[in-house]
Amino acid sequence: MADPPLRTEGLTKRFGNVVALDHLDLEVGKGEVVGYLGPNGAGKTTTIRLLLGLCRPSDGRAEIFGFDCQHQPVETHRRLAFVAGEANLWPSLTGAETLALLGRVHGGLDEAYRDELIERFDLDPTKKVRAYSKGNRQKVILIAALMVRPDLLVLDEPTSGLDPLMEQTFRHCVHEARDRGQTVFLSSHIMSEVEALCDRVGILRDGRLVEMGTLAEMRHLSALSVEARFDGAVPDLSAVPGVSAVQADGSAVRCQVRGSIEPLVKILAAAGVTELLSREPSLEELFLAQYGGDGHAG
Amino acid sequence: MQANLGIRARITAPVRAGGSPATVVAAFSRRKAVRSGILWGYIFGVAIASSEISYVKLYKTAAQRSALAATFGTSKATSALFGPATQLQTVSGFTAFKISMALMILGAIWGLLTSTRLLRGEEDAGRWDLLLCGQTTRRGATAQVIASLGAGLVALWAVTAIIAVASGLDSSVGIGVGPSLYFSLAMVATAAMFLAVGAVTSQLAATRRQAASFAATFLGASYGVRLIADAGVGLHGLVWASPLGWVEEVQPLTSPQPLALLPIAAFTAVLAVVAVRFAGARDAGASIVADRDHGEAHLKLLYGPSGLAIRSMRATVIGWWVAIGLSAFLYGLIAKSAGATVTGSVKGVLSKLGSTGTGADAVLGACFLIEAILIGFIAAGQVTAARTEESEGMLDHFVVRPVSRSGWLGGRLIVALVVLVPSGVAAGVFGWLGAATEHTGLSFTSLLGAGINLVPPAIVILGIGVLTFGLRPRATSIVTYAVLGWSLLIVIVGGFGTVSHWVLDTSVFHHMASAPGMPANWTANGIMTAVGVTAALVGVLAFKRRDLQGR
Repeated sequence: MADPPLRTEGLTKRFGNVVALDHLDLEVGKGEVVGYLGPNGAGKTTTIRLLLGLCRPSDGRAEIFGFDCQHQPVETHRRLAFVAGEANLWPSLTGAETLALLGRVHGGLDEAYRDELIERFDLDPTKKVRAYSKGNRQKVILIAALMVRPDLLVLDEPTSGLDPLMEQTFRHCVHEARDRGQTVFLSSHIMSEVEALCDRVGILRDGRLVEMGTLAEMRHLSALSVEARFDGAVPDLSAVPGVSAVQADGSAVRCQVRGSIEPLVKILAAAGVTELLSREPSLEELFLAQYGGDGHAG
Repeated sequence: MQANLGIRARITAPVRAGGSPATVVAAFSRRKAVRSGILWGYIFGVAIASSEISYVKLYKTAAQRSALAATFGTSKATSALFGPATQLQTVSGFTAFKISMALMILGAIWGLLTSTRLLRGEEDAGRWDLLLCGQTTRRGATAQVIASLGAGLVALWAVTAIIAVASGLDSSVGIGVGPSLYFSLAMVATAAMFLAVGAVTSQLAATRRQAASFAATFLGASYGVRLIADAGVGLHGLVWASPLGWVEEVQPLTSPQPLALLPIAAFTAVLAVVAVRFAGARDAGASIVADRDHGEAHLKLLYGPSGLAIRSMRATVIGWWVAIGLSAFLYGLIAKSAGATVTGSVKGVLSKLGSTGTGADAVLGACFLIEAILIGFIAAGQVTAARTEESEGMLDHFVVRPVSRSGWLGGRLIVALVVLVPSGVAAGVFGWLGAATEHTGLSFTSLLGAGINLVPPAIVILGIGVLTFGLRPRATSIVTYAVLGWSLLIVIVGGFGTVSHWVLDTSVFHHMASAPGMPANWTANGIMTAVGVTAALVGVLAFKRRDLQGR
């Protein structure tokens, strides 16, 4: 059986007394697009720097396609490309020179695809890096990563600074990469981006992976949002099994339901409901549920 | 309800309120400038005190002092290198002669590095835009930084003066408070002027490196003009064409000429005003000297990290080579006439500098010490460039691709050696050209050997720098330049006075034979090269095993 594109076992990183990443066990399969979520300081970038071999784990190990990230960095880097959220490039080089340099260093450059990406991302490659806006510098490192068609794309806030049109272009590129069998590990704060792109999502909190699964799995575990409107009085829903967060507002009521919705529907029908709207939670709501309210993971 | 994001935060220091929002830039810069001024003031003060005390111990009798004055006072070589030698029979005159030029150059380097760091460096890092978002303007912010540089200058002068006054009050030295304060003021005058020069070049240039290069070129030209003026070839009037010459004309401790402070003050003030006006006349992030935003792709050297390193530093390195070649040529030109004055105790002093030959070869042996120092600066620059690539995040682009850390750093080391060796060769070849022009009679091979002899101390500096880079990356710059500065200080002080051999041994230049004044010591050179390479290799190993670190 082929080694998975990405696997970690008990991966831990401490900075002094602070535990930045705590025994992370993670596996990403070939062709998967996996989202990696967490608030600032949760350990997302630390995870990525450990995967890239930029810092040393305090405990545990990480592998990329079976190669140890710490001891075989060159082998792992042949198979991956990385995009950071902050594009610190050489200011005196032009965009074209930067892409040529990074393409030569990585190897496997597809020049035709590079030119296509330059066009799709609407980048002026004759400009010097110091004259680029933040968004344009970000385009350079995105193109540099995509143009070598790596087996694994490791993306850390990759669309930072991009306008909505370019963000759309980026999403198309990721879809194409997945269709070609490439694997994508995406750390992002943009929930709509993760929701649109990812097959599975992991949520990190205080350096610990507290949730990992497909969106459907995560939604199944979470509450359904229900809004109802009545001709007459709003019924008392507080005692209905599985119902919580009831908010009455005139002739309307909002609540959340876990488990079977049948008891709630019966009460609403009996009360003469005129409008009923139910909605699965968005990724943003799932994410906030992990961090909201009492401050404990849900 | 506000979500608890579970982020662990620890407040380690209270945030102090106070200060006007309109002067926040000055407060931000002042701390850095003053801290640096205090550190360098300590170095300046120790150098002055050490010079005064060593003279008193070395030349105890009036006869010894008169002999020293008689010989040095007529030497064109030492005059060209260190400035005119007057009143050498006194502690004051000897100290002014011995230490002035070194402190003037060190002060200028401190000034240009500090101002370009706090002005163009902040702009390069993107922090300048944040500061400009406050209650200030481009001109206002620049003026505030210049004011804080002034505070740094005052700190430099104050610490220098405190140590100089304390040393002068020693009964055996006998220099009064007033003369010590005046001498200290003269010693920081070049720092003041080059703070202003750096402030202007920060407006002219598009990057900090470029700004520092512009200012360093101006310093080199100033030194060259002063050298010609003091070389005894009938061009002494040229001394007024060089800022270093103005400081020389202040004549502290010998025959004070306070009026000579006027051009220094005027030059500094005018440049400060020009810098502020330029800052208002350009966009933030732009430069007065037009910088092309677009360009054709030149891919020849962009095959990897080493090629990029060569491309990035080639202009700076060529500048260094030109400076080394030109100065070596000048030394060669004056060697014959200056060598004719080498007799008696001058010979003794040159001997203490390590140059035991006679005539032109002895002069060139002493002069080549300055070339060794320049090559040491090139070595230190190579290491700090590597550290900057890491701290600015550019290194990440290589090491997340199939480039090993040892491959990257090893490549940088090879590039550094490739830069250092021709630097020594340039010194030898151009020194020979200058000497041959004057029919000095020195052979090409002896001067080529003398040039290559300059490289091993630089390799030690390079090795210590790489070792620091591997173990304590954030200390790379300060340790590397401290080794260079210390070595320079010790070799100058040691050359003129009594210094314990234990202290002398800590200077990398002390282990270098002053060829062609004496035969190059290839055994010592081999040991220095081995020490440098070993330190560098340990640094590479340590770098492989540590986390990459930002600023």
